[in-house]
Amino acid sequence: MLKFLRKNGPGYLFLVPWFIGFIALALGPILVSLYLAFTKYDIFSPPEWIGLENFEFMFLYDDRFLNSLQVTFTFVFLSVPGKLVFALIVAMVLDKGIRGIGFYRALFYLPSILGGSIAVAILWRQLFDYDGIVNAVLAKVGIQGPYWLNDPDYALYTLIILAMWQFGSPMLIFLAGLRSISPELYEAAEMDGTSKFKQFYAITIPLLAPVIFFNLVLQMIDAFKTFSSAFVISGGSGAPVDSLNFITLYLYNEAFTFFRMGYASALAWVLLVIIAIFTGIAFYSSRYWVYYENERD
Amino acid sequence: MASVSLNNVVKSYGKVEVIHGVDLEVVDGEFLVLVGPSGCGKSTLLRMIAGLEEITDGTISIGDRIVNDVPASQRNLSMVFQSYALYPHMSVRKNLAFGLTNLKMPKPEIKRRVTEAAKVLQIEELLERKPRQLSGGQKQRVAIGRAIVREPQLFLFDEPLSNLDAELRVQMRVELADMYHRLGTTMIYVTHDQVEAMTMATRIVVLRDGIIEQVGTPFELYNFPQNKFVATFIGSPKMNMFEATVDGIGAVLPDFGTLALHVDDTWATKISVGIRPEQFALNGSGETSSTGTITLVEYLGSEVYLYVKLPSGHVVLARDNGKATHKAGDSITLSITASQAHYYGENGLRMPLFDEANS
Amino acid sequence: MTLTAEDHQAAAAAIRATRARRARRSAIIKHFFLASCTLIMIYPLIWLFMSSLKPDNQIFGDLSLWPSAFQWNNYPEGWNGLYISFGTFFKNSAFVTILAVIGNVVSCSFAAYAFARLEFKGRTILFALMMMTLMIPYHVVLIPQYLLFLQAGWVNTYLPLIVPKFLAADAFFVFLMIQFFRQLPRDLDEAAMIDGCSPFKIYWAIIIPLSLPALATAAIFTFIYTWEDFLGPLIYLTDIHDYTVPLALRSFLAQDSVSQYGQMFAISVLSILPIILFFVFFQKFIIRGIAMSGLK
Repeated sequence: MLKFLRKNGPGYLFLVPWFIGFIALALGPILVSLYLAFTKYDIFSPPEWIGLENFEFMFLYDDRFLNSLQVTFTFVFLSVPGKLVFALIVAMVLDKGIRGIGFYRALFYLPSILGGSIAVAILWRQLFDYDGIVNAVLAKVGIQGPYWLNDPDYALYTLIILAMWQFGSPMLIFLAGLRSISPELYEAAEMDGTSKFKQFYAITIPLLAPVIFFNLVLQMIDAFKTFSSAFVISGGSGAPVDSLNFITLYLYNEAFTFFRMGYASALAWVLLVIIAIFTGIAFYSSRYWVYYENERD
Repeated sequence: MASVSLNNVVKSYGKVEVIHGVDLEVVDGEFLVLVGPSGCGKSTLLRMIAGLEEITDGTISIGDRIVNDVPASQRNLSMVFQSYALYPHMSVRKNLAFGLTNLKMPKPEIKRRVTEAAKVLQIEELLERKPRQLSGGQKQRVAIGRAIVREPQLFLFDEPLSNLDAELRVQMRVELADMYHRLGTTMIYVTHDQVEAMTMATRIVVLRDGIIEQVGTPFELYNFPQNKFVATFIGSPKMNMFEATVDGIGAVLPDFGTLALHVDDTWATKISVGIRPEQFALNGSGETSSTGTITLVEYLGSEVYLYVKLPSGHVVLARDNGKATHKAGDSITLSITASQAHYYGENGLRMPLFDEANS
Repeated sequence: MTLTAEDHQAAAAAIRATRARRARRSAIIKHFFLASCTLIMIYPLIWLFMSSLKPDNQIFGDLSLWPSAFQWNNYPEGWNGLYISFGTFFKNSAFVTILAVIGNVVSCSFAAYAFARLEFKGRTILFALMMMTLMIPYHVVLIPQYLLFLQAGWVNTYLPLIVPKFLAADAFFVFLMIQFFRQLPRDLDEAAMIDGCSPFKIYWAIIIPLSLPALATAAIFTFIYTWEDFLGPLIYLTDIHDYTVPLALRSFLAQDSVSQYGQMFAISVLSILPIILFFVFFQKFIIRGIAMSGLK
């Protein structure tokens, strides 16, 4: 026993804070959340077990939920690829030894670091106001801009643009990835007479695949979790006409505006499962397109 | 100073056993070198003595104390690591003093020891520098300094010279040997470099796959390797091995014919005959000979190594002095003498045919 | 027919000239591309700043960045634009953020040290559990955590925003530090062990001093995340006196007097100023942190 403690004791001691946090703030809540997902619970009276009813209602009758799914998916599928392509292009331009790279890199990253702030969400609202700067620029070239924030057909695009504006983090990761590709490979390709374009898709892309994959997973998970900007830009409600009603926002309002904690928990689990499925797909598919340089057993 | 004794020491990682019951007595005050191919368990063994690896079974004692459950810091030993393991954020002085402050030694004593070690190792002017400002050789000295300030009863070295360039390695080898003679403390030294082993050791332990193959002085290992593995492992370039068949009057070697020996009934029908490159006579003075063609000449200045292809196609390595003028394509006659060869039975163990006469 | 020395020199000069021309042209194209990207990227921020100095009637529909009249008053007026001064909100934010940073750095480095450096039974499984919490979206634990804090009587205090940081609840930072600690040579720990260090002494005298870049990265990102955090304060803080800056800024927006745009922008600028300053001073850590771990 004494020996066991001497060997393991220090490890356990250092883990105490994390372990308490893990039980109280992660594992416990996950189990409780799973339980609540099958109940009707309004905080004021004890939870009432209703089996699958929450999920039945959600998928069969709740048009707001189905709409929120559509909003969330549209957002993820448009913003993530856009952001990654843009990030890769800029990273490649920056990679090829250019003066002032530190300056550009910093400026490109700045929006990402501010992106989560309410100030930027407020700013965005004003930029895309009907009388805002975006429409003013469009007017200059003779286009009459829409009511971005009040037109359900356009509102989501303001958020997609906001997301793409924050391409800094994947760009930095791409940059690190590009740096790690040995220049000798390009020199060898050059000597074989490989064209620049072919170098891009025969060397850069395959060798960058792990980084692309990493960015893809990270950005996708992040995009599914978008909340604050949607909250502020839509005024907290998902307006106009629920066109900004992301699952996260819907969930928040169900829980903290209407106190439907059971239903909100069920929504949270749907979100979890969606993220898990997409991460799973990404991981599963990665074996077909991601090549790891130092593949180990 | 202390003796170290290993009794049936076993190490396993999970189900994989990597050290299979090693017994070893390290005599007080000797310079013992553990040598063997990579993965043979020499570093693991050293780290078990140091207290960095748990001992799965068996016991290790230092002095008269069984240390299986004694933490590394209380074993009264120092270790020099291959990577030097200098604390990058501390000056050289702090690096040297760190272990002593942990022992709560009085400040003046720490200062005295650090100053003295720095003087001995000629690193006095480096004391205020950080490790990254030092060259490889200087780092090595600091690492050794950190080991000696503690005045331990046992020094452990884990391939301490392998990160140095060839010239420095030779120099540090001499200095380490010097230090050993000055301190007289027991030292256990792990290396894969047999030149280091041969030049510094009072005794060498050859390990393979977690088993001790042979323990002996450098002289014994080179001249009387106890099995085929040690025979080919010790000595560079390697010993030539011939598979011979035994008949009534001796061993029949391919290319060379019969080497006359006193065969007795206990012999197997097949034995191995080992001949070091310098054991070939090139002037035809041996008992039996073979003529082959030189395929490659490696000229080293003081000597020259010849790759000779014998009629059977077997390529052997022979040595000549540096003055000899051989070139590829020349034919050459190699001769051997029975008393100048090593003999191994079917089980791979040495047959001590001429050992008494040779020792 | 052989080439003379002059031929060689002439050819070399011609090649040099073409090469220089080409290099210059491609550099110009790249800089043009990057500069236009930068402009698009940064324009909204510049616009935000300039608008914070404009009179309200000039903010919309006017492409010109330059204020027709500098309304420096927007700042003091915005500062007191709610019936409580923004000084209170900044103080609240600073309080929460500083404690969060301390808590996160201490608790995460503890956990990371155990996972990266110490041996104990169950390490593999605990590590796997820790990694799994990385993937759990915050929204799943949001409601039960709220109920827990409600039970504890912590709603409407800062505890729900601070205590989790002291419990290494943000597994991401644990992961970040594990990655960093693992890069440190193990020989150092072993040398320290032989030098008589306890595990805690190794943590304190070896690992921590050598991990300052990672700790700084974690501290900076914790600062930024906590400073910008909106959802947490939104749920747990109900009394306007306790509001953090983002929450107060939101109430500014939600106010009916939406015509005070200049003031709102002024406060927006102030609210992101600490982040921008951090970014300017600690850029190196931030960029390394992202490259290392994919932080946002």
